[in-house]
This record gives sequence, structure tokens and C-alpha cells, in this order.
Amino acid sequence: MELENYPLGGKALSDKDLENSLFVKHKPSLKYAWDNGVAISRYLAELKEGRIIAKKCRKCGRTLVPPRMFCELCWVPTDEWVYVEDTGVVNTFSLCYINWDASLVPKGKDPHIPAVIELDGASKGMGIMHLLGEVELDKIKIGMKVKAVWKAEKEREGSITDILYWKPLE
Amino acid sequence: MSITEKIHKTTELTNFKGQIPTNYLYTYGIAGENFFRKIKDEGKFTASRCEECDVTYLPARIFCERCMGHLSKTIEVKPQGELYSFTVCWENMDGSRKTEPDVLAAVKIDGTDGVLVHYLGGVSLDEIEIGMQVEAVLKPKKDREGSIFDIKHFKPSAK
Repeated sequence: MELENYPLGGKALSDKDLENSLFVKHKPSLKYAWDNGVAISRYLAELKEGRIIAKKCRKCGRTLVPPRMFCELCWVPTDEWVYVEDTGVVNTFSLCYINWDASLVPKGKDPHIPAVIELDGASKGMGIMHLLGEVELDKIKIGMKVKAVWKAEKEREGSITDILYWKPLE
Repeated sequence: MSITEKIHKTTELTNFKGQIPTNYLYTYGIAGENFFRKIKDEGKFTASRCEECDVTYLPARIFCERCMGHLSKTIEVKPQGELYSFTVCWENMDGSRKTEPDVLAAVKIDGTDGVLVHYLGGVSLDEIEIGMQVEAVLKPKKDREGSIFDIKHFKPSAK
């Protein structure tokens, strides 16, 4: 039997080509359980209570958030637990028009806005990665003040998503 | 220097559970499409022969991986072969124990140099021998969808 003519070097498949092609669809089960350790265990438990906790290193004086048991600069165990504010400033941000699966955000819908938020009470440059929301795209500025919008108390589960997003602080 | 705080109660240990979402859609390509259609429609295997290298590839393919020659013709072969290797698997994907094992077999298809990996069924564990003749058990034609699972498993050939 002769294989049909085809372009050498291959070609991209259109949706129509797919209707006439055989293929296999697969969804691997990539489950994981990530050990939180001492510091992140407490951090997540505090998020559930609607608070953000950090850890202080007495040697360099920095307040580390997310908290860690070791200061990576001084190479010593960290000291006190301290609460920081659920307000902060935008350190950097991005407008993201693609979803996790590489599909486009539909036209007319707002993009995802990942941002690094420097928290009030933590050291300069110390920030957490999160999302911005309730904001006009052309008003977002590096250095703008923002505040956390939390999930309702009974829906919180001890996860970074207990904060829904950060909105501009009037 | 020591760690200043430790967790002493195992009930305080926490972990974060998640699942990384991944999807894929794999098209078989030109020769692969031909191979799986032949199984679906006729219950036969197709192979590609490179005269230059004296090699018969199964599944069929469009290039010889030895000489890079163009393999435009396919030949039909019977869905049967010789048990090349096997393993008895007692664990599920998640590591839990199976009550009945799966037997995975590498079958060298007769008249080709190709090996298919599939389940071996219809045989008790102590009857399995490397070198034994096996044949493919196909799904009923109406249930076939152009996948390797159109073959249910291989079973020992009738003597």
C-alpha cells in the first residue's frame, strides 16, 4: 500500500485536520504533596485566620515574608515571629493575556495581573507573588498602594488563595 | 548554631496538596495514522520495509532511522508474534497493590523487526515463557477507535 502524498517537513494541523485524524488524548495525573516545613505551616495557618506572619532576623534586622526558619544572607536561624500588614505596594506586575493552558483570555475580558507586593511592615524589597484585581489597567503603577481582598472567613483553607487578590488602596 | 524551633507533634506537620493540570493530544503522524486505521478498519498491522538496510519497521513509519531513506510503501503483517520479554506488575499507578497482576509483554511481531508493548492475557503466570507464540485479541470492530487499546491484549496462539 502506498502512503498518500504529504508535504516533507510536516505541517501544522488545523481543527479541521483534527476531525479527520486519529489521535490520543491524555491527562496525566500529576499529584503532589509539598511539605510545608515549620515556617510555611505557620504562615498558611495564619492566612486562614486572616493574618500575614513574617519572621525577623536579629542579625541583619530584616523582616522576612513569607517567613523562613533560616536567614539566607546571615546563614543563621531566624528569631521572632511578627505580623505584617495586609497592605503594601506594587513592586512589579505584568498583564497576562494567556491562561495556564496557553489559551487566550477571551476578547473583552480583563487579563490576569500577577504582581509582587511588598508588604507594609516587612523589609524593603520583601514581597509576595500574588494577583491584582478591581483595578483599571492603565492606572496600575509600580509603587501604588494596595490592600488584600480576603476570602470569606469560613471559606478560607490555609492557602495563599485565601487572599483573592489585591486592590488599590484609596 | 542550631535550629531554634522544631515541630514535636506529628499532627502539626502540614503539607500542601495540589495537582498540576496537564493535557495532551497526540496525533500519530502519517505512518502512525495508517497503522492505527488499519487496525481499526481491518484488524491488521502495517509495517514499513527498508530494502537498503534490510529492516522491517513496525509500527509503519515514513523514514528509515538507519539510512534516513524515504519509506513510502507499507506492507501488511498478521497481528501475531513471539514473546520477546515480559514483566508481571502488582502495583497500580499510585503505588497501591493490585489484587490481580497485569502482565506486560514485549511482542516481536512476525515478519518484522518491530516490537509492540501490550498486555498479555488469557494465560496463567506459570505458563508464560519467553519465545512463546502470541496473537493479538482485538476489540469488536464497532468498539474500535483507532488506538493501541483497539487491541485488548495478546494471548497465547492456539497450538
